[in-house]
Amino acid sequence: MIVVDGLDKLYGDVPAVQGLAFRVEPGEVLGLVGPNGAGKTTTIRSLGGIIRPTRGTIRIGGYDLGTDPVAAKSLLAFVPDEPHLFDYLTVEEHFRFVGRLYQVGDIADRLPGLLKELELDEKRDALPGELSRGMRQKVAIGCGLLHRPKALLLDEPLTGLDPIGIRRMKATIVQRAAEGAAVILSSHLLHLVEEVCTRVLIMHRGCAVALGSVSAIMASSPDFAGRSLEEVFLALVGQDATAEP
Amino acid sequence: MKGAFPYLIRQSVRNWSILRLRQLRSPRYLVALVLGLGYLWAVLAQRHSSSPPGGPMPGPWLETLGGLGIAVAVAWSWLFGVERRALAFSPAEVTLLFTAPVTRRWLIQYKLLRNQLLILLNVVLWTALLPGEGGGGSSLRRAVSVWVLLTTLSLHRLGASFVRTSLGEHGRFGLRRRAGSLFLGTTLLLGLAWTTRDAFSALLAGWGRGLGGLITALEAVAASPVPHLLLLPFVTMVRPLTAPSGAAWAHALIPALFFLVAHFVWVVRSDSAFEEAAADASLHRAREIGSRGVAPAVPRLAHRRVPALLTLGPSGWPAGAVLWKNLIAVARTRRAREVTGLFLVAGGAMILITFFGDARLADAVGWLAVMWAGVLVVVGPQWVRNDLRNDLLMLDVLRSYPLRGRSVVAAEVAASSAVLTAAQLGLLGVAYLAFLGSREMELGLLSRTLLLLGTAIYLPGINYAGMLIQNGAALLFPAWVHLGAGRPGGVEALGQSMLMTIVLAAALALVLLAPTLLGAGVFLLLDSLMGLGAIVPATVGFVIVLAGEIAFMVRWLGAILERTEPLTVAFVHALG
Repeated sequence: MIVVDGLDKLYGDVPAVQGLAFRVEPGEVLGLVGPNGAGKTTTIRSLGGIIRPTRGTIRIGGYDLGTDPVAAKSLLAFVPDEPHLFDYLTVEEHFRFVGRLYQVGDIADRLPGLLKELELDEKRDALPGELSRGMRQKVAIGCGLLHRPKALLLDEPLTGLDPIGIRRMKATIVQRAAEGAAVILSSHLLHLVEEVCTRVLIMHRGCAVALGSVSAIMASSPDFAGRSLEEVFLALVGQDATAEP
Repeated sequence: MKGAFPYLIRQSVRNWSILRLRQLRSPRYLVALVLGLGYLWAVLAQRHSSSPPGGPMPGPWLETLGGLGIAVAVAWSWLFGVERRALAFSPAEVTLLFTAPVTRRWLIQYKLLRNQLLILLNVVLWTALLPGEGGGGSSLRRAVSVWVLLTTLSLHRLGASFVRTSLGEHGRFGLRRRAGSLFLGTTLLLGLAWTTRDAFSALLAGWGRGLGGLITALEAVAASPVPHLLLLPFVTMVRPLTAPSGAAWAHALIPALFFLVAHFVWVVRSDSAFEEAAADASLHRAREIGSRGVAPAVPRLAHRRVPALLTLGPSGWPAGAVLWKNLIAVARTRRAREVTGLFLVAGGAMILITFFGDARLADAVGWLAVMWAGVLVVVGPQWVRNDLRNDLLMLDVLRSYPLRGRSVVAAEVAASSAVLTAAQLGLLGVAYLAFLGSREMELGLLSRTLLLLGTAIYLPGINYAGMLIQNGAALLFPAWVHLGAGRPGGVEALGQSMLMTIVLAAALALVLLAPTLLGAGVFLLLDSLMGLGAIVPATVGFVIVLAGEIAFMVRWLGAILERTEPLTVAFVHALG
C-alpha cells in the first residue's frame, strides 16, 4: 500500500532524510521512532504530500505521490500532532468540508455516527476556539478518518489526549489496520510503539538504523538479548542506556 | 535588567537584517528588489524633474485637508478600534518578559522603542515620496516632521486602544478610570458631528461646483471658530510638514513636539490598561503565528448561522470546499454583516432622498459611491484577504488535501474576488438608486442600467486578476507580504502600504493592458458598423484575453504552491 524508495530530503545542504526505503502493507502498523531531529516528522510529512522529497519516490496504493498527487492523497489521511483547524468553521462544518474534498457521498448518513463516536455530538456547532485541545485533536482525527483512508499517517497521535482518549486512539489504530489500512505512526513513546505496531523503523540522523518487528530487531544482535526496546533504541542511536539522563 | 531591552532590540535587529540580506541570495527576491528600487527611483526622478525647484509643499489647504484627514482617522480609531500590532508581544516575549522582574512601564517603553523601527522605515519612505524642495536641509526637516507626526499618531492610537480595552474589561469601573480620556474623545466626536451638521449645506454647495469648490468650502468651514478649535491639534501636527521656511518650520515644530510628549506621558502612565490590552493583542498575534500550545481565540462572530446560499453539498468541484470555507469565514464576521446592512440602509435612504429630499445630496452620495467602487479596484485586493494570504500559514494542511495547487489557488482567489466584487456592486447599486431622481445626470436611465450590468461583467475578472497578483506576491515573497488574519495597518505602516499599492497597481495595469488594447481595438474596428453595439464583441475580446491571462497565472502560481515549503513560510512569518 505504501512504498517508499530512495527517499532523500535536503534543507539547503543539510540532509534531513537520506536513502530511506521501506514498504507498509495493508493491515500493518509501522512505528517511526528516533531521537529529536532524526527525520521522523520530515518522513511522515513527505508521505503526506506536504513536503516535496529532494529525491526518491513514494507510492500510495500504486499511485506516485510526485506525479499523481491527487489520486495518491485521496487514499491517505494525515493527522498532525497539533490539530490545525479553521477558526470560522464549526465541528460539523469541518466534517462537511473534508467530505466535499474527498467526495464522501454518504456524509449526511455518516455524520451523526461519527460525531457520537468521537463524543462531539454536543459540540457539533462549536468553533475550534471553544474546544479544548483534546477535542480539537478529536476533530482532526475525525477529519482524517472520514473518508475511510487506505493509508493512515499519524504524527505523535497521543499528544494532548486524556487517558480515555489515549485508549480510544490506540483502539482506533488497531481497528483501522484490522480493516485493511496501512498505518504509519511516528512517536517518542516506545510503549505505544511496542503495543500497537507490527513493525518498527528506528531512525537516526535521517537514516534508517533498524527496520522490522520488535522481536526481529531484538534478535538482530546478541548484544540486545534480554534488553528492553528502550535500551535497544538507545544503543542503536548511539546513547549509553546506563548514562545519566 | 534595563540593559537587557536594548540588547534584545539590538540583537533582534542585527539577526533580522542578516536573515533579510541572506534572502537576497535567492534570485527571486534579488530581482524583485532591484526592480522595485528601480521603479521607485524612476518615479522619484520623474517627479523631481517635473516639480518646480525650491517650491515648498502647498500650505494652507494641505494643512486643512491633512488636519481633517487625521481627525477622521483619530475618530475612527476611537469608534471602531485600532490596530493591535503595536501592542502585540510574541509568545516568547510574553513568556520571558511578562514574568521577568520589570515594571509594566518598562515593557511599554520597550514596545514603543521597537515600534520606532517601523516608524523610522516609514519616515524614510514618506520623506522620499512627499513633494517638496530637494535640498538636504529640507529633507532633514521633512524627515523630522514626518517622524513627529507618525509617532504622535501611533501613540494616540495606542492610548485609544488602552481606553477601549479598559472599558471592555471593566465596564463602568473602566469608565470611571478613563473619564478624562473619554471626556476628551467624546467632546471631539460631538464637536465634529455638530460642525459637520452645521456646515452641511455649505459643503454640498461646494460639491456642486466641483473639487475646487469643495476644497474652498472645506477651508471656509475649517476657518470658522468651533471647527478651527477642534482641528487645531491635528493641524498643529501637520504644520511642520507644510512650513515654507526653516524659521517657520522651527516655529511649527515646538507645539507639535509638545503634543508628542503629552501623548507619550499619557501612554506610559496607562500601565495597568496596557497589561490587559497587550495580553489581548498578544493572544491574537499568537493565533496568527499558529504557535504551538496556544489555543485559537474565539473569533468575534456576527452569527453562527450562515445564509442558505452557502450550503455545501458532498459532491461537485472538490476545491469548492475551499471557496465555501473562505466565504463562510467572511459571512460570519461582524464586518460583513455591518457592510451588508449599511448597503441596504443606504440604498433605501437614497431612494427616499433622491425622490423626496435633496437630490443634490443623493447626487453627492452617488458619486462618492462610484468613486469608492473605483478606488476598491486598486486598494480592495489589499483589504479583502480571505484567500491564500490568510491560509498560507496552514499550508501544510492545504498540501495534505487531494487537490492540485492550481485548484487551491483558483478557489482561494475566487473567494476574495467574490467578496470584493459584491462590495463594489453594492456601492454601484447605491449609486444607481441615488441617481434615479437626479435631474442633472447626463446619462439616461437605460445607459446607467447598461453600465451597471457592464460592470457586473468586467469587475469579477478585473478583481480576480488583482487578487491573483496579491496572492502571487504572498506566494513568491512570503517574507515581504503580511500573512494571516488582518492586514498590516496603523500609521506606522502607511508608507509601506502605499508603496505596495503603487507596485501592485502597476502590476494590475500591466495585466489589464493586453485585454484593454484588444477590447479597444475591436470596438474601434466595429464602431462604424455596429455603433454602441460594438461594445459587445469588444467585451467578449476583453474577457477572453483576461481569462487566458488568469488561467496562465493560476497554473503558474499553482505550480509554485506545490513547490513551496510550509516550513519556510512559517519561518519567515514568525520573523515578522
